[in-house]
Amino acid sequence: MKNYSVERRNLLKAAAAGIASVISLRVSRGLRASPPSGSSEHKWAMVIDQNLCIGCGYCTLACQAHNDVPPEFHWNRVIQAGKVGDQDVFLPRPCMQCDHAPCVSVCPVRASTKRADGIVMMDYDRCIGCRYCEVACPYGARVFNWEAFEGENPAVPEWGQPEVSRRPRGVVEKCTFCYHRIDRGLANGWKPGVAPEATPACVVACPVGARVFGDLNEPGSKVNQMLAANPYFRLREDMGNDPRVYYLPASWDEQDYES
Amino acid sequence: MIRGSTTCPPAGMNKIMRANYLKRFLLIIWIVGLLVIMGLGAAAAFQVFTKGLVVTNLSDLVPWGLWITIDLSAIAMSAGAFSLCAVVYLVGLKRYEPVARTATFIGIIGYSMAMLCLLMDVGRPERFWHGFVYWNTHSVLWEVTMCVGLYFSVLLIEVLPIIGRSDWARRSFPRLSGVMRLVHHGAPVLAFFGLLFSLLHQSSLGATYAVIQARPAWYRPSITVLFIFSAVLGGIALTIFASMLAARLTPKANVDDRLLDTLSRFIGWSLAAYLYFRFWDAFAITYTYQPGRSEALQMLTQGRLAFNFWFGEIIFGALIPVILLLNGRFRRNPTLRMAALAMVVGGVVAYRWDINMVGQLIVLTYLPQQILARYAAYSPSLIELAAGAGVIAFGLLAFTLGVRGLNVVDHAPARQHAPKEERRRVPSPASAD
Repeated sequence: MKNYSVERRNLLKAAAAGIASVISLRVSRGLRASPPSGSSEHKWAMVIDQNLCIGCGYCTLACQAHNDVPPEFHWNRVIQAGKVGDQDVFLPRPCMQCDHAPCVSVCPVRASTKRADGIVMMDYDRCIGCRYCEVACPYGARVFNWEAFEGENPAVPEWGQPEVSRRPRGVVEKCTFCYHRIDRGLANGWKPGVAPEATPACVVACPVGARVFGDLNEPGSKVNQMLAANPYFRLREDMGNDPRVYYLPASWDEQDYES
Repeated sequence: MIRGSTTCPPAGMNKIMRANYLKRFLLIIWIVGLLVIMGLGAAAAFQVFTKGLVVTNLSDLVPWGLWITIDLSAIAMSAGAFSLCAVVYLVGLKRYEPVARTATFIGIIGYSMAMLCLLMDVGRPERFWHGFVYWNTHSVLWEVTMCVGLYFSVLLIEVLPIIGRSDWARRSFPRLSGVMRLVHHGAPVLAFFGLLFSLLHQSSLGATYAVIQARPAWYRPSITVLFIFSAVLGGIALTIFASMLAARLTPKANVDDRLLDTLSRFIGWSLAAYLYFRFWDAFAITYTYQPGRSEALQMLTQGRLAFNFWFGEIIFGALIPVILLLNGRFRRNPTLRMAALAMVVGGVVAYRWDINMVGQLIVLTYLPQQILARYAAYSPSLIELAAGAGVIAFGLLAFTLGVRGLNVVDHAPARQHAPKEERRRVPSPASAD
């Protein structure tokens, strides 16, 4: 009996020492670690002008066609967001590509990751389908494949084909800023945001030019010009997620001038 | 064995035999019934695996439903294992060893149930191992995954001596069972790691909710603490309840009522403390209006979850059991005590359901003008209910078989001294035979 209790005390001592050393190691490493910074040549962002958006939904359709998104899914949703004067105001909502993306922090398997240029990527081969990211996203930007998407996609025109392969059943998917178009453009020397081939599909398809895409790191880029010249807001800035999608609010005066 | 040597007066023989036949008959009905429910559950699971999660009523707004609640509750009910093992092997209260044995067995059943639920609930169950390979140390759910894996391993090792000590294992595999019984000497070390992983697991399950800023109903630190607290309560309560029930139903189980009485009183006091914390946790929300959070409290106290909250969590889940367990006269009445313990278990399950639902049923808008709370809806589909019932039936069956085959509820003094003799025999290497 005595022998036994000594063993227990020694165990407790060893355990306390072990925990203390693990904690101190973690703390000292935490002090040294620098936050993951997007140190890249590019810093992609989107500006959406609510003065111009007419709510036609072409962006959603183009997105579905390019990314082979099922009809009931919306990577890019257009929301009727009240009125200014007698004009309807719309709010198109792609993935915000947050700098401090909750979905990236919560993913248990690193299937959601933040690229250095700011795009929040999804690894569909790694996702286990736990849907924690859906719960964590304040913008409802993520959709889960509750069943396999089979058959033709009505959004895809007969003269073209999707640029992204279809996701399997059981994974979460979302808007990717059409990273494949950006990467392909950069590889070919086309400028994303300027050359249509290197710009997200929704931006290219917008008939009124309400969406602008570009590089925040480039001083003269269109996005920087627009953000310098206009008031802007981002969605749920109070949460500190630092979204990369900026909105120019619809204003009363401008509506007057235009009509 | 003591149990086998009960002598009966010849006059009562007939009566007892008839009672035994009835008991045997009821047992067979019970087992067959559980097997039928498990079969239905397997059929439902088959639907999930072939058609996908579309057969559930889950949605992109409410992606976690009934199965997650069963998973959380099963994990909570397993908390008796780590807390009682810590009491026995780390604090040194050796006399609770037989209770800890039951709790350990319930623990491994609970973790198996949780893993079965998760297997159905995740979209890609074949990738379950990704969490162990692709670490995201920022993710609370990664921590949960690791804790499930590590603590389940600890439980597997802890259960070895229980199996090894059973008459069946001694008879069928004498050599192997001897080795399995030797594991018992590592119990303090196992208890330490069990405490570590299980505490981490229970708290990080709460934190899984508590870190989500997008759901204000969850976004507060108290959930983490309340999850540990309620899990320890529920786990020990279920262990005592199951032991007492088994002892009533079969002579294969016997309990030392003094141990269970003390533990029940401990639960009573802890439950009172839990109620105090739970009250302040809810009351603190009333101080200011915060979009989403205030609506959540309203949903709990007056809205869709009100019945569950008041009756499941507060009145039957805490208030009545506190009275029953702290009053000595009530507590010493076995029926009242068992009722109180069952209510505690129900209260813990209700708490898990409420927390999981309230954060998801209230969805905040992200439009710039004002942040509004909108309401989503969820009620489990038939397939979800069937699969969930199948998992619960599996747990009940496993415990029934454990009581009958492995003597997991056995507080008889003769048994208690058995491991001590073995310990003395350890030094001689040839003792395995």
